[in-house]
Amino acid sequence: MDFKTIRFLTAAAVGLVLLVQPAFSQTYPSKPIHILVPYAPGGIADIASRIVGAKLTEAWGQQVVVENKPGGNAFIGMTAGAKAPADGYTLTMATVGDVAINPALFKDIPYKWDDYAPISTISDAPMVWAANAATPYRSIADVLAAAKAQPGRLSVGTPGNGSINQVVMEWMALNTGIQFQHIPYKGGAPAAAALAGGDIPFGVLASSSAAPQVKAGRLRVLAVTGAQPSKFNPEWPTLQSQGVKDVDASNWTLLLAPKGTPKEIVDKLQAEVAKILAMPDVKERFAGGGVETIPSTGAELDAKVKKTAQQLSVIVEKAKIKAD
Amino acid sequence: METLGNLAFGLGVALSWQNIVYCFIGCFLGTLVGVLPGIGPVATVAMLLPFTFGLGPAPALIMLAGIYYGAQYGGSTTAILVNIPGESSSVVTTLDGHQMARKGRAGPALGIAAIGSFIAGCIATLVVAFFAPPLADLALRFGPAEYFSLMVFGLIAAVVLARGSLLKAIAMVCFGILLGLVGTDVNSGTIRFAFNQPELTDGIGFVALAMAFFGITDVVSNLEHKDKTDVYDERIGSVLPSLQDMRMSFWAIMRGTALGSILGILPGGGALLASFAAYMLEKKVAKPPRNFGEGDIRGVAAPESANNAGAQTSFIPMLTLGIPSNPTMALMIGALMIQGIAPGPQVMTERPELFWGLVASMWVGNLMLLVLNLPLIGVWVKLLAVPYRLLFPAIFVFCCIGVFTVDNKIFDIYVLAGLSAVAYVLFKLDCEPAPLILGFILGPMMEEQMRRAMMINFGDVTIFLTRPISAAFLIAAAGMVMLIALPSLRAKREVALQE
Repeated sequence: MDFKTIRFLTAAAVGLVLLVQPAFSQTYPSKPIHILVPYAPGGIADIASRIVGAKLTEAWGQQVVVENKPGGNAFIGMTAGAKAPADGYTLTMATVGDVAINPALFKDIPYKWDDYAPISTISDAPMVWAANAATPYRSIADVLAAAKAQPGRLSVGTPGNGSINQVVMEWMALNTGIQFQHIPYKGGAPAAAALAGGDIPFGVLASSSAAPQVKAGRLRVLAVTGAQPSKFNPEWPTLQSQGVKDVDASNWTLLLAPKGTPKEIVDKLQAEVAKILAMPDVKERFAGGGVETIPSTGAELDAKVKKTAQQLSVIVEKAKIKAD
Repeated sequence: METLGNLAFGLGVALSWQNIVYCFIGCFLGTLVGVLPGIGPVATVAMLLPFTFGLGPAPALIMLAGIYYGAQYGGSTTAILVNIPGESSSVVTTLDGHQMARKGRAGPALGIAAIGSFIAGCIATLVVAFFAPPLADLALRFGPAEYFSLMVFGLIAAVVLARGSLLKAIAMVCFGILLGLVGTDVNSGTIRFAFNQPELTDGIGFVALAMAFFGITDVVSNLEHKDKTDVYDERIGSVLPSLQDMRMSFWAIMRGTALGSILGILPGGGALLASFAAYMLEKKVAKPPRNFGEGDIRGVAAPESANNAGAQTSFIPMLTLGIPSNPTMALMIGALMIQGIAPGPQVMTERPELFWGLVASMWVGNLMLLVLNLPLIGVWVKLLAVPYRLLFPAIFVFCCIGVFTVDNKIFDIYVLAGLSAVAYVLFKLDCEPAPLILGFILGPMMEEQMRRAMMINFGDVTIFLTRPISAAFLIAAAGMVMLIALPSLRAKREVALQE
């Protein structure tokens, strides 16, 4: 082989690569897409993936497989998502805690925000500060007064150590200078049951687990934890409107691709997901669980995660929340 | 009377063509995954969840429910014929069911399992229909103190359950508790015994543990004896139990159903705990002659009734409170939410067709299962009647698939392999696995509930005795200790007298 032939072949190869690159994203998706969920089936990240996945299948004619990889504080699923080939065929549905609390909570966390290419925020589930209906507490002011009278003697249930619910509780405690007795449960359902049964006076719960109990007269919602009232229950006042400054948190999910995924593919996914999240039947499905759809651009998601992580890490540190 | 009207309305829903078809699909799939060792309803329901998108809420729920209680039927078949629990809740069925099969009574064992499950299923359906709201309130009244005392009772009963050496049973319970403690402590968030493996931070999977102790170990021990295979390869013969079998089993079925119905509504245990508890109760209260562990038909009838009753009543907290009592129920809640229905107390009033349709479909489903499991038992047996040299690799494969599908983790298969080695050594040392399994389930729950009770009450220990339900369990537990102690005291006295 003489030099010319080699040069020709090299040029041809380079040309081929250049040709293939855009063609690759034009033909995307040409095989099934996997959405990794770092949680067991049944949770909000799982439900969100299944709803969005089914619509992606409809739109693109490619099977979207939801793969649950629960465990290890979401480390297993998140790490698998970060290490997957950056070709758009393996995506990850994370929750706010995975990207904004875990980094502050764990010293040796095996993934970081920079490992991902953000696609879009997906769903937003309001959280509430709820009291058992048999207790005398009717507003956040009542809670604060009682907490001041007997510091550290008010028990608050949450779905677990290091959950966003616990962070909200500590945030409120820090901003009002009071202390609560934290009672962690193994997930939202047992926490809701304990609160409904009167084992504990207070809980920070997803509005979807609180709402039916409120209707049944077992719980009373004292506040929503976001800055804005929930669209589905506008009658619940916010924490901020009751004098708890700055506290603004909800449990949202986000869709990620591994870092290095071609921009065309990320954009294509973002555009399709935005379309899906605007569909009335999709909105209705999410609304069934009291959840709103929140489409965004990748840049908006990136900014949101960075801002939230910054806010929450301060609280994790100040409140000395520990989980390992 | 209103309930009867509602049930009739529910039957109308359940008997529509579409719902009958989905009920059948659910029951059929349930029986299939029940028969196959390792593969359970949780993985099956999770895989089918996307397919329920297009269905209405009623057929979706009816089908998924069918998978769950159908698996309770199917699990007993494998337990009796192959001595491997097809389903984790049929672990205890292996104890007497397989012994019956060995003695040539596989037919009646399979028959009583199906009949017991059917009777329990019918009664549990009525329990759900008539008592769902008050029973849900009972479940809510169980606070951490009550759970702790219930677990104490359960653990002590676990020792009673064991055959042979009491010392070994206690050691196995303790070993089970230690295995159960692997993972993240709920109360403090501390990770224990995980050796920096993220896969271990959620603890050892129950399916892996059950398959290691009741699946793989059994296969390996069978392979030791070339001449003897544990598969029942003769003709099953009549599956109809004799009149005497029926008479013997009747109260066992009733007691199993009652216990299963109650334990089913409590979070955490469901069908699994119910079957263990029913077996232990039967061992203590059944009329002599008692041959438990050697093929007593009541040792099949009671747990099989209990696990089916428990599977059905575990729908009560889900349907009336929106609170799942086990992972399968959590998936049902997911299925409802995907349909745009917020699970909770209002489902019963706002979507009566859903609630009553589901309840009535349990009747229809139980009838289908009786048909699937009795006259068609031969089909399921054929699945298991292939030569052992072909069957045992298949069992290994299914165990691995089953363990993998729980969390989609290869790591769990290594856990299965490691535990199998441990289980085999313990088997060789004549240590019963049943107390270990109970220690594994109950120990960590007991710790979690005790510490939570203490936290909520700011360190006040008297809480366990001042709450009536809790005190009752503790007293019962003390009574059990006496039960264990007394016969041995008596035995000692007899020995002394003989000398």
